[in-house]
Amino acid sequence: DQVLHIVPETFQQVQHLQLLCSTLMLDLWKPLLPEDIRAGEDLHIRVPAPLVQEVKDSLYQHMISYRVLIPDVQKLVDQSMPRERSSHRQVSGYVYTEYHPMEEIYQWMTQIQKNNSELVTQHFLGKTFENRTMYYLRISQPSNKPKKIIWMDCGIHAREWISPAFCQWFVKEILQNYKTDPKISRFLQNLDLYVLPVLNIDGYVYSWEKDRLWRKSRSPYENGTCYGTDLNRNFNSSWGSVGISFNCSSDIFCGSGPESEPETKAVAQFIRSKKSDILCYLTMHSYGQLILTPYGSTTKPPSNSEELMQVAKEAAAALTGKYGTSYKVGSTALILYNNSGSSRDWVHTIGIPLSYTFELRDMGAYGFVLPASQIQPTCEETM
Amino acid sequence: DIDDVGHKYYLELELEDVLDKDRTVNCTAEVLYHLGSKTSAPDVQVTVQGELRSTEEADQEFYNWIRSLEKELVAENIPDSHGNIPPELEPIHLLAWVASGFLIWQNSTENTKFHLAQIKHVKQVKRSDEDLQFDYVLLLHEMVSQVI
Repeated sequence: DQVLHIVPETFQQVQHLQLLCSTLMLDLWKPLLPEDIRAGEDLHIRVPAPLVQEVKDSLYQHMISYRVLIPDVQKLVDQSMPRERSSHRQVSGYVYTEYHPMEEIYQWMTQIQKNNSELVTQHFLGKTFENRTMYYLRISQPSNKPKKIIWMDCGIHAREWISPAFCQWFVKEILQNYKTDPKISRFLQNLDLYVLPVLNIDGYVYSWEKDRLWRKSRSPYENGTCYGTDLNRNFNSSWGSVGISFNCSSDIFCGSGPESEPETKAVAQFIRSKKSDILCYLTMHSYGQLILTPYGSTTKPPSNSEELMQVAKEAAAALTGKYGTSYKVGSTALILYNNSGSSRDWVHTIGIPLSYTFELRDMGAYGFVLPASQIQPTCEETM
Repeated sequence: DIDDVGHKYYLELELEDVLDKDRTVNCTAEVLYHLGSKTSAPDVQVTVQGELRSTEEADQEFYNWIRSLEKELVAENIPDSHGNIPPELEPIHLLAWVASGFLIWQNSTENTKFHLAQIKHVKQVKRSDEDLQFDYVLLLHEMVSQVI
């Protein structure tokens, strides 16, 4: 298979390319949909080996110039495979035991929906500051009874790479095992799972391209002299009161007001609209090995704190049971630090009963730069 | 709580040997955080109950390797973005860890929680004697302010 790079020059070329893609059902890598092909913009198409000559002939006939971006897709796939391939069962060749840049996560979402269309749909949530599209995946078994929702988001802080890695792993595990694992299949009979693999997409991209230890979003403040809001201080829960900074160069800058950031707004809007159906809200972070319950802004316990603690304690025990990794459980204000404007707190204040922040591995030895070799055990124990 | 002096903590800890994960040693420690806005490092007293294993062999191996290099060692981003450390640079990483322990101690208060996030840059400094010298640029992560 080859991947071709084309920059269509005229509208006629665009039309021809769109026709070619849909007729031959070619795999579009960029953009994702034929209707998004534009003149003057990059087009990357993967062409299956048997069709390569036909496609090239057609391009030649229509005087569309192209460049071979990847001459042998299989070779590249083989090269990027980890040495032991045994237990890493993959969905369409995707390597879950490595960290992936945002481009690949977008492609992964499309593939997941394509390969599991009976269960998974991809949905638009909103746009980031730098105009990137936020998508979530809905895993739902068709049924005539209404189902409650469990929401999980990853990657609210850019440098916490293990978090999006977990969301991807989670989706893969559910999809690979729902037919055979009785726990998962019972789960899906009664609940829908909504997964947002990367919430802070701009920050995540920035941590890949410019600064591995970036945390915040990438919206500019003070005339572009400083960038980024800590999205987990930007929600409307005692916003701006404690554990924050009003200085935009701070890593805990809470923004110009509650939900001032498009990413925050997109999530908040959605959760508000579905709040009566959401049973449990999970937000994944690293590091610290903690399961945190509301609140961060006060030590006053939430109304259902007993239930919250009991569920969290059982989760922590199950997690420890896998590889012995120890997690602490408690409210943020008591066991970590004070902070206001967190998504977990806000979600609880609008009435969602179970709301947790997970701080995944490790305890600081590697911190944010957790080796990829720890992706599998971290994800397995967290499942 | 010690009036006019500060807060004293009595700790019982278990230390794990980084080079031998199954080996642990019990310790007790007393940490006194001083009152007042003047930033001075907390007083620390540690008693190790048992023996710390000798690292002489590993030290010697590392020393010999560095001395055998044709050019002064230079490296950056340890671990790299994906958490990887080339095995031969592991001792450089461990040295940085120790050094950061000192820095963290000097800068700690009851409201800080520091970890070494990454070695940004390390450069061996040429010396005329037989000692080794390294210049490090370290990134420390502080949990409460989230600052690096």
